[in-house]
Amino acid sequence: MRVILAEDSTLLREGLARLLGEEGHEVVGAFGDAVTLVAETEMLRPDVAVVDIRMPPTHTDEGLRAAVEIRERLPGTGVLVLSQHVERSYAARLLAAGAERVGYLLKDRVAQVEEFLDALERIHAGGAAIDLEVVRQLVVRSAHADPLARLTPREREVLQVLAEGCTNTAIARRLHLSLSAVEKHLNAVFDKLELRGTEGHSPRILAVLRYLEA
Amino acid sequence: MSGGERGGAGTRSAVRRTVGVLAGCLTAPAGLLYLLFAGVPLGAFLLWPRTRPYALGVFGSGARRLVEVERRRRTCFFGDRFPETYGGEGVVRYLAVRSWSGLMCGVVLALLGFGLVLAGLLAGGVVRGTIGTAELLMQLVLGGVLLFLGLQGLFALTALDARLARECFGPSERELLRRRIDELSVSRAAVVRAVDVERRRIERHLHDGVQQRLVALAMLIGRARRSGGRDPERAAELLGQAHREAQEVLAELREVAWRVYPSALDSLGLEEALGGVAQRCGLPLRIAYEVVGPLPRPVVTAAYFVVSEAVTNAAKHSAASAVSVRIEGPPGGPLTVRIEDDGRGGADPAGSGLTGLRGRVSALDGVLRIDSPLGGPTTIVAELPCV
Repeated sequence: MRVILAEDSTLLREGLARLLGEEGHEVVGAFGDAVTLVAETEMLRPDVAVVDIRMPPTHTDEGLRAAVEIRERLPGTGVLVLSQHVERSYAARLLAAGAERVGYLLKDRVAQVEEFLDALERIHAGGAAIDLEVVRQLVVRSAHADPLARLTPREREVLQVLAEGCTNTAIARRLHLSLSAVEKHLNAVFDKLELRGTEGHSPRILAVLRYLEA
Repeated sequence: MSGGERGGAGTRSAVRRTVGVLAGCLTAPAGLLYLLFAGVPLGAFLLWPRTRPYALGVFGSGARRLVEVERRRRTCFFGDRFPETYGGEGVVRYLAVRSWSGLMCGVVLALLGFGLVLAGLLAGGVVRGTIGTAELLMQLVLGGVLLFLGLQGLFALTALDARLARECFGPSERELLRRRIDELSVSRAAVVRAVDVERRRIERHLHDGVQQRLVALAMLIGRARRSGGRDPERAAELLGQAHREAQEVLAELREVAWRVYPSALDSLGLEEALGGVAQRCGLPLRIAYEVVGPLPRPVVTAAYFVVSEAVTNAAKHSAASAVSVRIEGPPGGPLTVRIEDDGRGGADPAGSGLTGLRGRVSALDGVLRIDSPLGGPTTIVAELPCV
């Protein structure tokens, strides 16, 4: 796929460009700020734009603003936003236009090369890649300091895919599980997160997802 | 300072004071005459409401001139330090009371002079033998009492003169307290601001430096792992890069930690920590360290940050070729930190770095002076009281 990069750390920008090159993708442009990003994206028409939220000159949210603008102007272009910390409001702003061809990942996820490439592929294919941290933030904190810490790795995977907006069937296909196994895992997740709802679908989790898509 | 010098200075100051008292006696009639000759013709206008403000203005401005002379006399002979401005309404009252007390002082001095003459006559009588023992004793007792009264009056009047001047020119106790509170509020706010600026800076260093580097490092390792099967040579090369990168991250982390708080300050002291600044600074840095005895820790920390911030600024903005730092701390006196560079000057005292330093220094009741004319050189002096 063709990718455009906006990341202020030279080191990381170079690393990303190399990594994508090694994976056979084409980096059509790499920038250290978000100033010309929208214009360049309109001109170069990449498949996906990878944008750091915090960039010069103000080091606040210029990357996010550019990403939102790209989504508005070029709906066919995927956008993957890298964030320093999980900012619920940022995630909400990014996902305001729907959860298609969009990703919101913690910057550190880039270090998990496979995960990052996988997220890119998913976005390119029209899906979403929402960091599990976002879900963690959105799940109402129970008395436990970290509700997600009590999930098994498998349950976590299920929740992750659920947070990407997949149905139970899709989850089963993605994780190579039977449908009943998925339901069992999800029930365990709802139990552990104290989100008991009706019919095995937690209204809270659905609310989380709706919130992400709102 | 040796004892002889101190004695000399004491005599000088006593002579000055005496001259000041005499000058006060001489200026007193001028004040009274002014009040008499200006007050009488203006009196009618002063009473009539329509002309009162104008008449008061005229009367006050004349009085002010005379009062200014008094003020100069106090500062010149008695070393009083008054604020630049003083209230307008007390001027006439001050002139009246002060002239009266000055006149009294003159009278007392005249009486003392008269007493001296009498004492001389008495001594002459004793020498000629015309005075009996009983009479001599009586004269001595009487003279002694009068001398005591005269001196007492003189001291009281000089004290009154000082107090009047303080009341008219100087800030009142209350005013001083209010100023101190203002000063403290300002410096407290500045300290909080400085701490916030510092924290933001640390966050920036961690995020833009260390964290990005670590992410890049992890990415290198990830890439090496991915190409391990396909291209072992490439994988080895990437791992080599990652290894080098890891060393650099470590160095950067050390730097950041040092900038947050140089641990050498606690373990090795100010001089050693400043040596660290010299090593890190890109410019030749000369440090003269002349401190006697131990320093309080807050002073040490503030001095360190003043130097490191000033040196960093010089290296970054001034295009200086060398920086010299001088630290002097006489026992019991304030610690003076002086940083000079030969750069192009024009440092902005309102810049965030220097403002932060000022906050840090004023929190310790110290003073920070920045002299940086365009074209240089820049001199920054911090005086930190060691209480």
